[in-house]
Amino acid sequence: MSLSKLLGAVSVASFLAAPAFAQDYPARQITMVVPFSAGGPTDTVGRLVAERMSADLGQQVIVENVGGAGGTLGAGQVAKAEPDGYTVLLHHIGMATAETLYRNLAYETLDAFDYVGLVTDVPMVIVARRDFEPADFPAFVDYVKANADSITMANAGIGAASHLCGMLFMQALDVPLVTVPYKGTGPAMTDLLGGQVDIMCDQTTNTTQQIKGGTIKAYAVTTPERLDVFPDLPTVVEAGMPSLEVAIWHGIYTPKGTPAEVNQRLSQALQSALADEGVIKAMADLGTAPVAAERATPEALKAHLEAEIARWQPVIETAGVYAD
Amino acid sequence: MDLLSNLALGFSVAGSLTNMGFCLIGVMLGTLIGVLPGIGATATIAMLLPITFQLEPVSSLIMLAGIYYGAQYGGSTTAILINMPGESSSAVTAIDGYQMARKGKAGTALAVAALGSFFAGTVSTFLVALFAPPLTAVALKFGAAEYFSLMVLGLVMSVALAHGSVIKALAMVILGLLLGIVGTDIYTGVPRFTMGITQYADGLNFVAVAIGVFGIAEILRNLEDEHEREVMTKKVTNLLPTRAEFRQMVGPVLRGTGIGSVLGILPGGGAILASFASYTMEKKLSKTPEEFGRGALAGVAGPESANNAGAQTSFIPLLTLGIPANPVMALMIGAMIIQGIVPGPSVVTDQPALFWGIVASMWIGNLMLVVLNLPLIGLWVKLLTVPYYILFPIIMAMSSIGVYSVNSNAFDLYAVAFFGLLGYAMVKLRFEPAPLLLGFVLGPLLEENLRRAMILSRGDPTTFVTRPISAGLLVVSVAVLVLVFLPQIRKRREEVFTESDA
Amino acid sequence: MATKPKDDTDMVAGLALMAVAAFFGWQTAGLEIGTSLRMGPGYFPMVLSGLLFLLGLFVFAKSFGRDGEPTTPLAWRGMIFIISAPVFFGLTVRGLGFVPALFVTTLIASQASAKMRPHYALILAVTVTILSTLIFSYGLGLPFRRFGPWFPL
Repeated sequence: MSLSKLLGAVSVASFLAAPAFAQDYPARQITMVVPFSAGGPTDTVGRLVAERMSADLGQQVIVENVGGAGGTLGAGQVAKAEPDGYTVLLHHIGMATAETLYRNLAYETLDAFDYVGLVTDVPMVIVARRDFEPADFPAFVDYVKANADSITMANAGIGAASHLCGMLFMQALDVPLVTVPYKGTGPAMTDLLGGQVDIMCDQTTNTTQQIKGGTIKAYAVTTPERLDVFPDLPTVVEAGMPSLEVAIWHGIYTPKGTPAEVNQRLSQALQSALADEGVIKAMADLGTAPVAAERATPEALKAHLEAEIARWQPVIETAGVYAD
Repeated sequence: MDLLSNLALGFSVAGSLTNMGFCLIGVMLGTLIGVLPGIGATATIAMLLPITFQLEPVSSLIMLAGIYYGAQYGGSTTAILINMPGESSSAVTAIDGYQMARKGKAGTALAVAALGSFFAGTVSTFLVALFAPPLTAVALKFGAAEYFSLMVLGLVMSVALAHGSVIKALAMVILGLLLGIVGTDIYTGVPRFTMGITQYADGLNFVAVAIGVFGIAEILRNLEDEHEREVMTKKVTNLLPTRAEFRQMVGPVLRGTGIGSVLGILPGGGAILASFASYTMEKKLSKTPEEFGRGALAGVAGPESANNAGAQTSFIPLLTLGIPANPVMALMIGAMIIQGIVPGPSVVTDQPALFWGIVASMWIGNLMLVVLNLPLIGLWVKLLTVPYYILFPIIMAMSSIGVYSVNSNAFDLYAVAFFGLLGYAMVKLRFEPAPLLLGFVLGPLLEENLRRAMILSRGDPTTFVTRPISAGLLVVSVAVLVLVFLPQIRKRREEVFTESDA
Repeated sequence: MATKPKDDTDMVAGLALMAVAAFFGWQTAGLEIGTSLRMGPGYFPMVLSGLLFLLGLFVFAKSFGRDGEPTTPLAWRGMIFIISAPVFFGLTVRGLGFVPALFVTTLIASQASAKMRPHYALILAVTVTILSTLIFSYGLGLPFRRFGPWFPL
């Protein structure tokens, strides 16, 4: 009886002092904020990783969807959360682009967060409706340049992966196309399948099954190496357009001021989740793969975020599109 | 005979003891949670998603699908009993269902809803099985111009939802359209009518608006004069429909099933229109249109069937294209991906057991729902005998949790309060909430597709009449318009004549 | 001299519609209108605001010359308590946590009826809170903190 009381007192004390005693971390369940609605590709990545991280941490990691305003609401919420390691953020490339896309962001991206690590780089594929004429990527580029005013390019809304890639594509080819925005990838893909729009550039998460099913035509991947799922598909680098290289990377963040040991512990859990067979297989089905262990670290994510903010700022400013 | 062997495969998968068990759990959970005001299928499935990770893919999808239609069933129950629709489809059920409940016919309304849904579910399940691939091809013919014309048709029909002044109903539709626009413009990224509140950048939450203008307004109306008027008729006559009522519901159920099945296939928001369209049709065909809005049986039977049929056929774009028709379907895709099945055109051929198992489980789930719900009707009706002053604090607590659980956004709760006040003001000024809600749902779709159609046609407005499907829909719209206004004009002329005679 | 008959409800309704239309129209003012062929973000809302104003005018004009139906009293007490319940929940669910926030929310809502006795309200609030916590927090695992940082331990 007295022993259990003592144990209770100890656990209460350690609970209160959790941030100071990082070796006791984690002592309760961790909330992973995904700043997009449930069921989307980012949510899927979050839930995959969260489930396996729970196993390593010995505490449940639960996903909370705080959707809205291109992910900035959820990120803003984590920026303001207690830096005790019990609130983490899983965000994608939008973390870097929002810095420029949103001119009155509620937080300073580089000052408001600490880092856990990168999770995965989702490649993108340049696709077109199934009866689009050009046979290969060089022909595609020539065709688009020659017919710039009659070709329509779909995207899933401002700030979406397809929009970012679309901006890069048009700047790389130096042709302005008629862009057709949609509310999300679903309707954009429907119209591409139905031949209502001509081309799109989107994540493998959304395109792989359609390409395999022959309902849309793929021209190139935006990664340095070819993909295992489509060994015949050339890369943009091979085609001599390295500026088109882009991946939708995902990272995990904590609020600024989280103890370094806590971030390390989370990073370790992330690495173990990324090495899990189930995660690797699930990601492979989506046409992506976990990042190497040395990139699932705080340092790697910090460096990557800084580089990406610097990369996208001129792209977005040239396009002159803002989301606020 | 392909179909038979496919269905046999499906039933052998769905009929296994384990999968039947998960189906049962799904529909029970769905019903229970759907009955709680403010908590719809989307929130429920989002909550339960993690639980399904541990299951076999087929079992988990069967369970999630069960939750989906279970929650829709439960949602209709709430709409009928306390006038709290959780989704756009049950907003229509609330119009006449709640009036039936106030007249002491809650049991009949619930039974009609259950039986109509079951019939619609059965028919549309077979449609999914028979025609999924060819229907998909039709759905892909719908581009921006077609959706715009479809939404115009929806708006024209919405006027028939009104049982009072047509002008005031039109005003509510337009107010709804304006409210639907709140949020960031997807074409330019400019925020519209958000008052600088970033939390509304993605628009107002449907559940918040629906609970406000329907449910809270009704609570406030009941609190006006607690001493004089009994809120509900305590005397509940009979639970099951009479023979005459059965006969009355046959036509509406058949027509509702047809409309719902067709509209559910369209991934761009067709299913939203199903129950509205059915309501309009029943009102137009009825010999006693004045009963609509005052507890017409056909006003419950038709829309409920349409809604359930649409819910089933909206699985078609999901299973054949991998494209979600609504947020619930998006969640199902998430669930499939986590299970290692990426939905897409190849699911039918690569995973026949999964595809046909789900199709078969839809029918089994619907059967379970009827068997579960018919005996429960007595219990639900008893709920109405709970004193109102005990019931509504519970309703408020549940709605608050439900609305918050969707996106963890406190501003959605402030929206509930605002729309509660707005809804009450509307009651006072004799405006009806259903047209507003339809406008709210259609507003973004209407504008989005109008502008997209203009972009795709390079600014050529004839695109709406040169594309055959679009032109056809516009012709139907004009026809409906004439049908709606002609009786009014005639009536006015008759009035004029009688006056001059006198 | 008797006053001419008019439908007060519709008169107010018409005025309210015009006011709402004017508000939306004013909010649209800052948005780019564009042309019919190249619509800007303000085009659609502007057309709608205009239509709404006309309908309001119509309702207003038609209210004269006929009698309205009798009006019922306003539910002041209901409005105050019912409306503040979800607002309180929204303000405190993160800070206080799910359990205390829900308890107070139910308590506030129960005050809307004059028939509610204080001790019943307390019993009701406790019951609702316990059941909801069991169902939503433990049963469904909603990601809410049961007791938030403001809650004194």
